[in-house]
Amino acid sequence: MILGSFAAGVGLLCLRPEHLRKLFVALATAAVCCGAMALLRLPAPLGAFTHDYHWVNLGMMFGEAAMAGYIVYISIRSRKPLILALILAQAGLILWFELAHGPQLRGVRNLYLDKFSVILALINGVVGGGICVYALGYMREYHEAAHRDVADRRPLFFALLFVFLGAMFGIIFANNLLWLFFFWEVTTLCSFLLIGYTGTAEARENALKALAMNLAGGLAFAIAIVWLYQKSGTVELQILLASKSGAALVPAALLCFAGMTKAAQLPFSGWLLGAMVAPTPVSALLHSSTMVKAGVYLVLRLSPVLTWTSVGMLVALVGATTFLVASLAAITASDAKKVLAYSTIGNLGLIVLCGGIGTDASVWAGVLLIIFHAVAKCLLFLCVGIVEHKSHSRDIETMSGLILRMPQLAVMMLIGMAGMFLAPFGMLISKWAVLKAVVDAFPALSIFVVFGSAATLFFWVKWMGKLLEVVKPREQLPEKLAWGETVALYGLSGATFLACLLFPLISSSLIEPYVAGVYGHSTSLGQGNVIIMTIMMVMVMLFPLSFINYGRGVKVMDAYLGGANAQSSVRFTGSGNTVCDVTLRNYYLQDFFNEKLIAKWGRIAGTALLAAMLTTAVLSSREPAVQQARNAATAPLPSPQPTATKLISL
Amino acid sequence: MSPWLRLLLYLVAAPIIGGLLAGFDRRLSARMQARQGPPLLQPFYDVIKLWQKENIVVRRSQNFYILFFLLLVIFTGALFFAGSDLLLVIFALTLAAIFFVLGAYKASSPYSFLGAERELLQMMAYEPMVLLTAIGMYMVTKSFHVHEIASHPSLLIFALPGLFLGFLYTLEIKFRKSPFDLSCSHHAHQELVRGITTEFSGRALAMIEIAHWYENVFLLGWVYLFFGSMPALGVAVSLAVFLFVILADNVFARLKWQAVLKSAWLVAVILGFGNIVVLSLFR
Amino acid sequence: MIGFRQSPWILHYDASSCNGCDIEVLACLTPLYDVERFGVINTGNPKHADIFLVTGAVNEQSKAVIRNIYHQLPEPKVVVAVGICAGSGGIFRECYNICGGVDSVIPVDVYVPGCAARPEAIIDGVVKALAVLEEKQKAMVAMANSIDKTLILRADKSDAPEILALQKVAYQSEAEIYGDDSLPALQQTLEELEEDFTHMPYRTNTLAVSRENSDPPEVNLNRIVFLKAVVNGKIIGSIRGYTVDGTAYISRLIVHPYFRGRGIGRRLLQEIEKAFPHAKRFEAYTGHKSKRNLEQLSRLGYQTFKTEVFNPIITWVYLQKSRNGEHPGTNGKPQPVVAALGSPANQ
Repeated sequence: MILGSFAAGVGLLCLRPEHLRKLFVALATAAVCCGAMALLRLPAPLGAFTHDYHWVNLGMMFGEAAMAGYIVYISIRSRKPLILALILAQAGLILWFELAHGPQLRGVRNLYLDKFSVILALINGVVGGGICVYALGYMREYHEAAHRDVADRRPLFFALLFVFLGAMFGIIFANNLLWLFFFWEVTTLCSFLLIGYTGTAEARENALKALAMNLAGGLAFAIAIVWLYQKSGTVELQILLASKSGAALVPAALLCFAGMTKAAQLPFSGWLLGAMVAPTPVSALLHSSTMVKAGVYLVLRLSPVLTWTSVGMLVALVGATTFLVASLAAITASDAKKVLAYSTIGNLGLIVLCGGIGTDASVWAGVLLIIFHAVAKCLLFLCVGIVEHKSHSRDIETMSGLILRMPQLAVMMLIGMAGMFLAPFGMLISKWAVLKAVVDAFPALSIFVVFGSAATLFFWVKWMGKLLEVVKPREQLPEKLAWGETVALYGLSGATFLACLLFPLISSSLIEPYVAGVYGHSTSLGQGNVIIMTIMMVMVMLFPLSFINYGRGVKVMDAYLGGANAQSSVRFTGSGNTVCDVTLRNYYLQDFFNEKLIAKWGRIAGTALLAAMLTTAVLSSREPAVQQARNAATAPLPSPQPTATKLISL
Repeated sequence: MSPWLRLLLYLVAAPIIGGLLAGFDRRLSARMQARQGPPLLQPFYDVIKLWQKENIVVRRSQNFYILFFLLLVIFTGALFFAGSDLLLVIFALTLAAIFFVLGAYKASSPYSFLGAERELLQMMAYEPMVLLTAIGMYMVTKSFHVHEIASHPSLLIFALPGLFLGFLYTLEIKFRKSPFDLSCSHHAHQELVRGITTEFSGRALAMIEIAHWYENVFLLGWVYLFFGSMPALGVAVSLAVFLFVILADNVFARLKWQAVLKSAWLVAVILGFGNIVVLSLFR
Repeated sequence: MIGFRQSPWILHYDASSCNGCDIEVLACLTPLYDVERFGVINTGNPKHADIFLVTGAVNEQSKAVIRNIYHQLPEPKVVVAVGICAGSGGIFRECYNICGGVDSVIPVDVYVPGCAARPEAIIDGVVKALAVLEEKQKAMVAMANSIDKTLILRADKSDAPEILALQKVAYQSEAEIYGDDSLPALQQTLEELEEDFTHMPYRTNTLAVSRENSDPPEVNLNRIVFLKAVVNGKIIGSIRGYTVDGTAYISRLIVHPYFRGRGIGRRLLQEIEKAFPHAKRFEAYTGHKSKRNLEQLSRLGYQTFKTEVFNPIITWVYLQKSRNGEHPGTNGKPQPVVAALGSPANQ
């Protein structure tokens, strides 16, 4: 899978003609999807690939050196000493490590497959593939209509997309931390190149910012690898996970740090917001559905190590704070992609919270969150991209009345938004599970979740309302979608629905086995609740049916405008007998939630928490007492739902 | 009592009880203002009259949202009285309220739009406290299920005094009473004309009214949960809380939304979260 | 049947009152008179109200507002004019800016005299209005049940306000199809509509031409036919037409949205064809997206012969039909028989 994607990427670099590229992308995507689905068949956890891939290690070393060299060149050219320092430190460390200890690292299990990997592979393949297909039509319109001034480097673009997919597969399947690191750095590089795709000064600035932050994470990663090897002589992830000693906390904390930079947690959230200058497929792929998922994937993987430790608690605090801050900030944003970016950061914070808590319930919730968020957020990004092209604006205020102007897209956006926060859709299930997990573990953290979720309610419903209101009878925007876009959008909407409907199945077949495998037991939602959720889902789905009786027996009349209606519902006679239009503008509460202030305090809090986390990790690694605490705490807790087996228990 | 029986009882009796409570509310408010007030059954007359009026809409689909609002409120209350998971009940109520808000957005008039925005602000204001209340109850009774909370042997109020007070504060918001009647008001507080209900007439308005009755009964039922182990006391306190809500309604003037949001969140943090922290320390 | 008598909701509007009557209206809400014991609520919103309480005489600015608000009240509704200014213009009747009492704009059901009208009188007036309201309610129910007793009659100028209101309501659906409120039918004012009874401009082919041609040839009064469809005294449909040189031009077929799909439109068309016995050709027009109209006309034998762009959104489609079923310009080939021009009773 990995190699295939890489090959596809390289191939795309050479393909210039548009139609050939379309065919190639379609085929490659299909292959990737089938491959991902085929993984479902494999018995998991599938251990080792303990072949002696020494030549691969060598290749990776050269690859890293090459990437490092390129980044050095970039940093010198852009005069960013920070990046230069980071890359030199990071590359230097890793190269030294590999040269010094490389020969001793034979016989290592390099790749590892379990249900969690399968889930992520599916997301990467299906969602990621869908985005690639969507990008075909989108980029054509991008270059031909919307942004003529941007240089057409589409072969590079698509090549990078597929290289990135390959690197993601690498991250998902890698057990050897060095391999993980290599793929991690590939994704950093891809992200840098893709954000800077448009070549404008702003894009370059933001790309460099992203590069800097991700490199900081990479440095932490490198230190983690070295430390781990010094203490325990291994570079395997699974061995780290199974370790019960306090010494494992330091590499775990460092790896969490790396994951958090990639997932744009506080105080690193700035790069994700800046990355929204990139074309929409980039935003969808890298910055909502897949690359940032790599970061939280790492944190979730590490959760067995973090259970019931103060390091874990601090990690959870970072996630919780991020969730709250991002949700509050999203209320003030009127740029659609900014709202989506903040929402992404917030949800990633929730997942990090789950990882930090580290109980079986929270990991279950975290995996669910990953699945639902990836699908719904991707759908939203893709829709916003098309809306931006057709109406030349990303502002939510210009999306007024979209339900009449572009009905297909508006309905899909409503589905996506409902999928993000509404019961009985997926994210709600996940949030519910998170709440339960939090209450069982650290009740004090619940305040973050509770306030954050109130905030998310506000900005999503505001946006939904904007789509539904009809204040101007406007001309219908041409809604011709390219076939690629159509496929991707319909596929994702279907996926959102299916994921919600089938989530008990997903839970029992994929998530619970993984969680049980790691913790020894697993939680689930309880059959009664599942039935209730299904009923709610059915009720919500009945809503479109009510349109069958559309407009019968009702009298359509103007809205109440104080009696000053001028012949219609959306114009009124103002002062001086002029006819004015009605305009409705959402509340953005910008005075109430000052975005800059919130962001500043968020960053301060984030930095403090991360510093605390690292120090605690170092301190606790010297205490063997951590082990006892953990053993005591991981005794099976009384399950909170013993009687929740029937719909209504007596 | 079997959950199905409770459910049935709720479905049938809640609108009646809710309507009587609404009538009592109007009469008591009138008496507080040295007036006579309408007959106790007035809300029923109102609904019956509204049902016979013509259906005027601004956008053809706006009334469907109200229908689903009503259905989902009934569903929420039914879930609650049948004894199922409290968090699920909260989320179902949120879903119902969102349908109401979306219907007002759909109606596309300035007043209904502002009413919808303010309704969202109200929801944002009370949601944290409501969730914290559920969490607090879970921490004491180890269960989110309503019937288990109701049958808990000790009085929850002793463990959750802060949460109770905070919940009272939010109840004032949920009942749409002054000082928190931002989005719409039964009285002649015509700041936004009729706010969120401005563009609804006839049957849709009747459905909104009935949905509010169902919701009020459900909310009072939640107050009862704090005193679940002594049912008579529970019912008495619920009614007392309702009286208190009416009193506050008549005494206070409407606050600005900034004040509502700030104060509600402050109450949630201090009273609600404080209660939870204390509980977790004692666990 | 309980309902309106127990729960009358009021909308209070001040047209150009000195506020004397308004204060008396508000006094009714005070503890001394307390109309809420009768269930009266002063809603500020026409869509919630049953009784439209108007004070003050009507001036130019109030006219449009009163009409707007009146249309936004759902049926059944009553209008109560409070005070003599609302009744007849009062002491300001002769002023240059006053058009008269409320009944110069909308139909009034109850007049409450006084200057200022006393609260007892106002309450009395509201109670009388309740009785009228109940009657209207009964009539509404009866009408819904007796739709097949529709009568097609000739309309005259006194029906103009009702027909204009109906036209506005009926063309809402057309406006939605096109997403445009600038349809001529919706923009027509009462004065223009009243003129249609006597002068119907010879329909020129383009709007531009009619602007150039400032004196359209007027049509003889006898040649204009204005029909209304009435059920239980209420107009629910209308159509108008005129003949020039042997061709009858039919326009503005409107049917109330509640009563569509029951053959009223078809009956109106057939009646107006009967009303022009000497016309050899009938011409009608509608917008290009109005599928329902196009289908209805084609079912009655009309065929498209011309299109004309009216504005970027709407293109008029002109249809025609000749009396004996032949279409001009088809070289006498036999055409499918159109719907019988006979009596509408068996439809």
